[in-house]
Amino acid sequence: MRKIFVITFLIQLLAFPQSTSFDFHSPQNIKLFADHLFCESDYLRAIEEYALIDGQFVNDTIDFKIMLSYSNLGLFKLSNEVFKRINNGSIIYPDSYLLSMKNELVIKSTPLEYSILSSFNLSQQKSFNRLVSVSTLYGEKPVVTKNDFLSVFSAEDHDIISHLYDYKFDPPYKSPTLAGIFSAIIPGSGKMYVGEWGDGITGLLVTGLFAFLAYDNFKADHTARAWLFTGVGAFFYAGNIYGSIASAQIFNAKIDFEFSNGLKVFLENKNYFLPEYDFCN
Amino acid sequence: MQSKLFFFLFILLITTSVFCQIENLKWQKENISYEKPDQFRKRNYSFQSDNAGEFIKKSLVNAYWFFISDVDGDNCAFQPTCSSFFIDATEETNIFQGSLMFSDRLIRDSNPFKINDYPRDKSGYYYDPAYNYTLSQGRIKYLPPTFVADDE
Repeated sequence: MRKIFVITFLIQLLAFPQSTSFDFHSPQNIKLFADHLFCESDYLRAIEEYALIDGQFVNDTIDFKIMLSYSNLGLFKLSNEVFKRINNGSIIYPDSYLLSMKNELVIKSTPLEYSILSSFNLSQQKSFNRLVSVSTLYGEKPVVTKNDFLSVFSAEDHDIISHLYDYKFDPPYKSPTLAGIFSAIIPGSGKMYVGEWGDGITGLLVTGLFAFLAYDNFKADHTARAWLFTGVGAFFYAGNIYGSIASAQIFNAKIDFEFSNGLKVFLENKNYFLPEYDFCN
Repeated sequence: MQSKLFFFLFILLITTSVFCQIENLKWQKENISYEKPDQFRKRNYSFQSDNAGEFIKKSLVNAYWFFISDVDGDNCAFQPTCSSFFIDATEETNIFQGSLMFSDRLIRDSNPFKINDYPRDKSGYYYDPAYNYTLSQGRIKYLPPTFVADDE
């Protein structure tokens, strides 16, 4: 009797998943699974699952989650394509608007030209103002004074944002012309001006050595040898002037790199001033 | 009973060994090379130009490689090496500007003080490409010391 019961139970257990009456692939179940994937940060698969139920729910939150998923995957253009589907009367619209601003900033790296929404709450207004302000660092000239610029950000960010502002609008560039002139007057001094002391000293020693050898050989009437050293010395002298100009240009490229990299890291750490979204708790 | 067990084990052993043979790709022994990738041997000795100046320049560099550098050994800390840098520099610009770039490179190469600021390539050489010294703003690409070049 017990055996029959166990066998029947096992058959039922096996038959249940085969049963067609229970629809695992109902839109509600797909949505639940997609939500789970989204919360597990499995954005690519979450998007695929959401796509299966596309149009079956009138729900802007799903579109916003797709938008957020694309943005987190680094597919910013696709994210902004989804933004176009979100109804501007929706409660999620202000958040999606801010996310589209972030996407735009990452794609274009230019100052944002968005207008403020009347439906923004206080936190969203702050995020909007900070995003617009920080985007002006991608422009050529400052839009407002430094104090006005800083006033938008929280006190804890003032140091770094002030540093980025200075780096952008008053960068500590070195003049390539000046570096070339310095090296023409004293070989190697242009490199030292750019901060490459080792190269500068080496340039001075090498050029000085060949100049001395040329002078000494001229003095001793070894004319052929003297001209040979003069040629080599002139070769290094001219190369050092050229190298000083090139080094100043590379130094300036380094300043630009440090600015853009610093700004990118800062914005990523701050999540582009976007509010926290909590869909998973 | 015992013969059945042996027969079963015999079949199992044959099946296992056959399985290992058919999965030859999966189980194939990997021939790992512990040799440092050698850029030295990748030198291009060919003459690709019909220009007389190019021919003379390449002849001089090839002669240097063949009679001096290859005999001396792989001693240049840079990638590209100074001689290859000279070829690249003249190709990127012209013979006059390329020579100035080469002269500057020789000074930088002999600098014993600050060589660690250069990024490295995958083989561990200091990566210092010619395009950064062409004085053309658009072509300069700052490479931080942490950058690892994949220069083939």
